[in-house]
Amino acid sequence: MVFFPRDKMTRTSAEQVGEEIYDVVIVGGGVAGAIIAKQLSAAHKRVLVVESGMGKDVDLAGYESYVSRFYGTAMKDNQSPYPINRNSPMPRSTDARKITPGLPATDAYIVQNGPFGSDTTYTRVLGGTTMHWEAKTPRMVPDDFSMRNTFGVGENWPISYDEIEPDYREAEREMGVSADVEDQRYLGISFPDDYVYPMRKMPLSYLDQQVDQGIRGTSVQLGGQQFDLEVRSFPQARNGIPNPLYNGGKGYRPLGAVSTSQVEAGERCQGNNNCVPICPVQAKYYAGKTMAQALLGGDVKVLTQAVASRVVLDADGRVSHIEIKQYHDPILPDHTTATVRGRVFVLAANAIENPRLMLASGLAGSSGLMGRNLMDHAYLLCWGLMPQVCGTMRGTNCTGGIVALRNGSFRSQQAAFGIDIHNDGWGWSEGSPASDLLRLVDGQNKFGRSLRRELADSITRQLLLAFMIEVLPDPNNRVSVDPAYKDQLGNMRPVVTYNIPEYTMRGAAYARRFAQLVFQRLGVADYTHYDPGDYGYVTYEGAGYAIRGGNHLAGTHIMGSSPSTSVVDPDQRSWDHANLFLVGGGSMPSIGTANVTLTIAALCFRTARAIIADLA
Amino acid sequence: MRDLFLSFSAEVTAFTTFELQGTGMADAYLAAAIGVVGDGPVQQLLAVWQGIRQEGADVEGRLRREIFGDELLGPIARNIVKMWYIGNWYQLPYAWSQTFGAHENDTTFAVSPAAYIEGLLWPAIGAHPPGAKAPGYDSWSGPPTIPEVPE
Amino acid sequence: MSLEQITSKEELYEYLDVAMQLEHATIPPYLLALYTIHPGTNPDAAHIIRTVVVEEMLHLTLAANILNAVGGKPDLTTPHFVPTYPTFLPDGETDFEVDLQAFSPAAIETFLKIERPRQAPDEESRIVRRPGNKSFISRRLGDESLHFYSIGEFYEEIARGIKFLCERDGEQSLFTGDPALQVTPEYYYSGGGELHVVTGYESAKAATDLISGQGEGLGGDIYDKEHELAHYYRFDQLRLAQYYQPGDTPGNPSGPPLNVIWEASYPVQKNPRIAEYRDPDIHRAALAFNQSYADFLHTLTRAYNGQPQLLLDAVPQMFRLRDKMNQLIRVPLPDKPGTNAAPTFEVNELSREI
Repeated sequence: MVFFPRDKMTRTSAEQVGEEIYDVVIVGGGVAGAIIAKQLSAAHKRVLVVESGMGKDVDLAGYESYVSRFYGTAMKDNQSPYPINRNSPMPRSTDARKITPGLPATDAYIVQNGPFGSDTTYTRVLGGTTMHWEAKTPRMVPDDFSMRNTFGVGENWPISYDEIEPDYREAEREMGVSADVEDQRYLGISFPDDYVYPMRKMPLSYLDQQVDQGIRGTSVQLGGQQFDLEVRSFPQARNGIPNPLYNGGKGYRPLGAVSTSQVEAGERCQGNNNCVPICPVQAKYYAGKTMAQALLGGDVKVLTQAVASRVVLDADGRVSHIEIKQYHDPILPDHTTATVRGRVFVLAANAIENPRLMLASGLAGSSGLMGRNLMDHAYLLCWGLMPQVCGTMRGTNCTGGIVALRNGSFRSQQAAFGIDIHNDGWGWSEGSPASDLLRLVDGQNKFGRSLRRELADSITRQLLLAFMIEVLPDPNNRVSVDPAYKDQLGNMRPVVTYNIPEYTMRGAAYARRFAQLVFQRLGVADYTHYDPGDYGYVTYEGAGYAIRGGNHLAGTHIMGSSPSTSVVDPDQRSWDHANLFLVGGGSMPSIGTANVTLTIAALCFRTARAIIADLA
Repeated sequence: MRDLFLSFSAEVTAFTTFELQGTGMADAYLAAAIGVVGDGPVQQLLAVWQGIRQEGADVEGRLRREIFGDELLGPIARNIVKMWYIGNWYQLPYAWSQTFGAHENDTTFAVSPAAYIEGLLWPAIGAHPPGAKAPGYDSWSGPPTIPEVPE
Repeated sequence: MSLEQITSKEELYEYLDVAMQLEHATIPPYLLALYTIHPGTNPDAAHIIRTVVVEEMLHLTLAANILNAVGGKPDLTTPHFVPTYPTFLPDGETDFEVDLQAFSPAAIETFLKIERPRQAPDEESRIVRRPGNKSFISRRLGDESLHFYSIGEFYEEIARGIKFLCERDGEQSLFTGDPALQVTPEYYYSGGGELHVVTGYESAKAATDLISGQGEGLGGDIYDKEHELAHYYRFDQLRLAQYYQPGDTPGNPSGPPLNVIWEASYPVQKNPRIAEYRDPDIHRAALAFNQSYADFLHTLTRAYNGQPQLLLDAVPQMFRLRDKMNQLIRVPLPDKPGTNAAPTFEVNELSREI
């Protein structure tokens, strides 16, 4: 288990906090904030983490109250385990609306300007979105770091794959990644010769294996290149079988559940098939595991129920303090305003909340790029029925997929994609299996034996391919604020203006054709359909596609080598404010086709070193 | 009443009364149905079922005509099937409420956290409810075991 | 009377065989108590019992590792490996019997006796005279009223025997087992103690220390070497309705309060017998459970005899047993109003029944 020292949590003493000057103030207790806090803790720095959530989940009973809420809720979306908090509101996929041009959707927490209506979400509780993440942890491919140089599109990173590679290993250790190097060495992704992941790969699902059998040995041609198809396992931050060869033969000890009192839980993944929205047994990594370790050593404290509302500068353009509003109850607006002071400040609140806070503080930055270049993977779903029973609805949410088209010369013209095979069938596209039950009982008048038989037949053959399509930075896709839209604490809410770039749609159109090809090879009956009334409906070259958000938010304070073309430097330090770091997905100038968390984590190890050097 | 409810449920879910009792949810589902639509319609449904069961002929056809195809009883019967399979009571159709009166408790709700866990949908497809009754590491790599539907 | 009972390898085999029986004998009662708790209620109690079960499985595996290390052959399929409940524990404590029963104060009282602190008041009391049934140790001692004071004293004798044989015959001639038979940590880990591979005196000692320490604490401390609360005191928390925390002394927990709702458990038949199940569905289900349980023990036996990777299969098997058990526990016995069915764990009756 990971012991969580409850006495490091303060809830009611905002005034007391205001009297101290910390070495580092971190806004946000998600994965980025937790990793930086842990590294600073090891260096004996005095750190305050400002967390907007309630922080009631630090013992097993608190965590399990999330699980129980999930069980007892009829509508089981990403946020269903987490209680309503009007002072730290969260976007919810059920908020998504079709946007009428010129009429922003303003009911939900994120004000959506459109034209694209996104269902993307993030979770504002201690642990952040790693509470409901799927925990898939692929590395970015080397070409993702040099998009402009290699393909003539997008932006270059100021650092290369080789520079970030050691930090990828740090991140894989911190999050306890299960994978086999042999499966992950592709498209230029490289590892030191003697490297093994902390734990062995998650076994492929039976469904993955059936798809693999049907496509292995076949290929597709694109942009003059041939791509051979097969199903590969994905690296995952959840407990599997520790690899005895890890760390030079010392092995790896998996991290169990987090709690303030002794519990034994959080062992090996049991296949709950519920990574999203919550792993019931804490086999899945979440940032609470890192935060607990941060609190055990050094002098790190967490101030909960505290929403950062304004970043305030001194005369030299350095941050002097951050104003916070500490509320008392998640529903009522009563709160106390206080200031937190430090030598260094880190905003680790995610790619929407970071720029929201900066812009709400009137800090648009000298480059004018604060909030701009918002990216989120565009997902296209294609689904059908396999000819044979595949045992869909078992396993972790996703164990394998097709990754051959994550890179290639075609990227000068169209987006790359990675493909997930979803072990939860048509859950994402159709709401299966509940929707199958309703369809059969209410629509097809089934009951008794025929109901049972048809459920088994239709659900256990479901195949859903989720295409995670790359999105390039576009300054017009942005987060902004507007005094007309505030939450009940008076904090300005994020206003999102977003369009799916044509480069991405070209990739989406190809993805649809690619899915048809795969389905033909497998003998899959294609049930894919995109409804023009869908909030995510986008037309491209005469055809329509329903695009889904990926919850992989990035790009709103991008990293670069010059203050005029970027917001932060390669250490995620603000060009404008020397003692301010903006960390997380917002710093990424490209997202390629990798889920963003592993890269966010890797960057935070780098940033922690820079902060420690500053404070020395 | 409980026995009749169980025998009706066994017939319309195709699970045995042993399996239904093994979920521990029988009383909660009966109470949920009564709690929404009242005692009368549930009693009526079970009385019709009692007649069908006693005569024993053309059970499926009579269930269709006299219960699932009945304006009052059909939506309640379908909701009983859905509760057993997924643990939720679903709000009755608008037309039903228009005809027979709206009921205060008639919303879509999960009967209880345990009801979700005990849903029959999952054993019917050889799986388990997401987030509960985990099958164990690596269990997903082999073919599923889908129980035979009893004749 | 000499206290050194183990003077040959064969005697050590017999002790280790009994050790495995002993570790296993606690598992069915713990599991039944765990699963009779109404779902969603008593989370503290459920976690405490679940943790102890997981660690008993670890102890079972450790005992198998020791037995393999000294060239013995673990076998969980021999007749009478699974006791018939109510039962005395195989190590020979005969002042109490262990029942298969629902989660209740009585069940917790029994668990406290099972895990009671090991240390006998003095050297001479390690083996005590308790009138009662013959036990393993009394058979060995030729005096049916003689028994070990506790499980801890039983393991103390195993540790002593290993040391004695090492010193007399040399470590190499004692540890002749095939190292490939050892179950390694990659195949078994829990949130609690770690699995030790046993290859010689030191690792065997570490294994027996871990088993005794997790059960009953170390040298009077309520925590063991790995700073984990001993099983006895975990259960004690349920009796005292309060958590222990570091620094506490036995009987005086000072941690957060702990809420137990004793009524929130299914009223299952105590020490059930399959022959008593008249209802054909219940009878069939109970029989199927016992068959699955026998299969599970068979898998473990193979895992401990050169196929450690089968422990991965044992986990899903165990989860299926959990589901079957839950089903039985919720079904009322038609001929006994107010009492529910329960698994009987009568694996030795299988051949007769089928």
